[in-house]
Amino acid sequence: MASKKSLHIESSGKLCIYCGACVGICPLNCIYLDETRITFDEKVCTRCEVCVKACPVGAIEIG
Amino acid sequence: MAADIRTDVLVIGAGPAGSMTAKWAARHGAKVLLIEKRQEIGSPVRCGEGMSKDWLTEVGIAPGRWINVEVEGARIFSPSEKVFEINEKHAGNEVGYVVERDGFDKQLAIDAANAGAEIRLKTSAVAMLREHGRIVGAKVKQFGETVDVRAAVTIGADGFESQVGRWAGISTNIAMRDMDTCLQYRMTDVDSDVRYCDFYLGKVAPGGYVWVFPKGERLANVGIGVQVSQVASPADAKSYLDRWIEHHPAYAKGKKIDMVGGGVSISAPLKQTVADGLMLVGDAARMIDPLTGGGIANGCIAGKICGTVAAEAVAADDPSKEFLQKYEHGWRARLEEKLYRNWLAKEKLVSLSDETFDKIIEVLAGVRLEKLNVHNILKAVRDKYPEVTKEFEAFL
Repeated sequence: MASKKSLHIESSGKLCIYCGACVGICPLNCIYLDETRITFDEKVCTRCEVCVKACPVGAIEIG
Repeated sequence: MAADIRTDVLVIGAGPAGSMTAKWAARHGAKVLLIEKRQEIGSPVRCGEGMSKDWLTEVGIAPGRWINVEVEGARIFSPSEKVFEINEKHAGNEVGYVVERDGFDKQLAIDAANAGAEIRLKTSAVAMLREHGRIVGAKVKQFGETVDVRAAVTIGADGFESQVGRWAGISTNIAMRDMDTCLQYRMTDVDSDVRYCDFYLGKVAPGGYVWVFPKGERLANVGIGVQVSQVASPADAKSYLDRWIEHHPAYAKGKKIDMVGGGVSISAPLKQTVADGLMLVGDAARMIDPLTGGGIANGCIAGKICGTVAAEAVAADDPSKEFLQKYEHGWRARLEEKLYRNWLAKEKLVSLSDETFDKIIEVLAGVRLEKLNVHNILKAVRDKYPEVTKEFEAFL
């Protein structure tokens, strides 16, 4: 089985502004925003990269 | 574990749509609990803060200290910066106020409280409660403690990143072409015109626009929306906005004092906004105007209908999907035609070239339109550039 690419959400505040754009567009509803913390469900995420495009400040990377 | 809470109506989210819903449900006699996950209603602001004003009386909002600036009109700039000015006379609802959104949201929450709604802060919904396939409230976390809130009617007013609809099995997914990714700076020391809200169209903001909304003398919200499907590389919204500011001397020397971002849906209306025991309202129900990206007016207008129907469902002891259709029909009768028309217009506009935008704005700047709407605009453009409107025949 091919391993998934890595997905990293920079949510320590260096880039992320906690706006929720990624949460709203995620088709699998697997990104969670809790005030100033963003997490995602590693198992559910398919690395579709929609959130990468939706993020206005480029805080999400897939590699 | 804390004891269950019982209420008639549970409203999740104290933004404008949620507070409106809570107010009208309470006013019609229901026991209402309005919960807000943040510690402060209205803050942090995630909004351009421009809004129309002709709908305020309809939903019972009185002007207050939340009005920042009352503008005289709007100016639309084409890519080569030809200007079309829209004034109050022919724009009606498209012109209005620049507001302090946090103050506005707080005023609406105060109105809800005054009508009898109970408000709990730092309280977020974490799951739906279900019985026999019907939503009967929500599991909520307040100050870290989990409590069941049992309600006859539950309302999802939880904004763009809504969870409630998805939990309840209502499809609220949006495609990349139906969302704009947005970024805005509050800027001081800028040469903006306090009389106008300004909009810049074309490749400066693919599938969206750049806005400048005056907050006072030399103070303005300068922001951008870019259609997600037209984003080529990460942080495009920021890159486009920074580039635009750099190329506009009136703003290039300004200083940024605040930065906000967010997602805005620019989709066609949802097919369904109710389920057994549940209604969705505002941005959570994708009620944002797909042409302007404005969500406050529609959220409040639908909120009044939603709250009223919620109270009626409680009084009738019937929170079934069938009963709640009254809300579904009510908000559609009031908003759907315009939402759908503006979505179709948006679908066309996002594909126009800079040259076409220039032609359209040039024509509009030179004619007098009695009433501003998509139909009148297209007719005026057709007279001078029939080839431009060829694709828009459906609107004429």
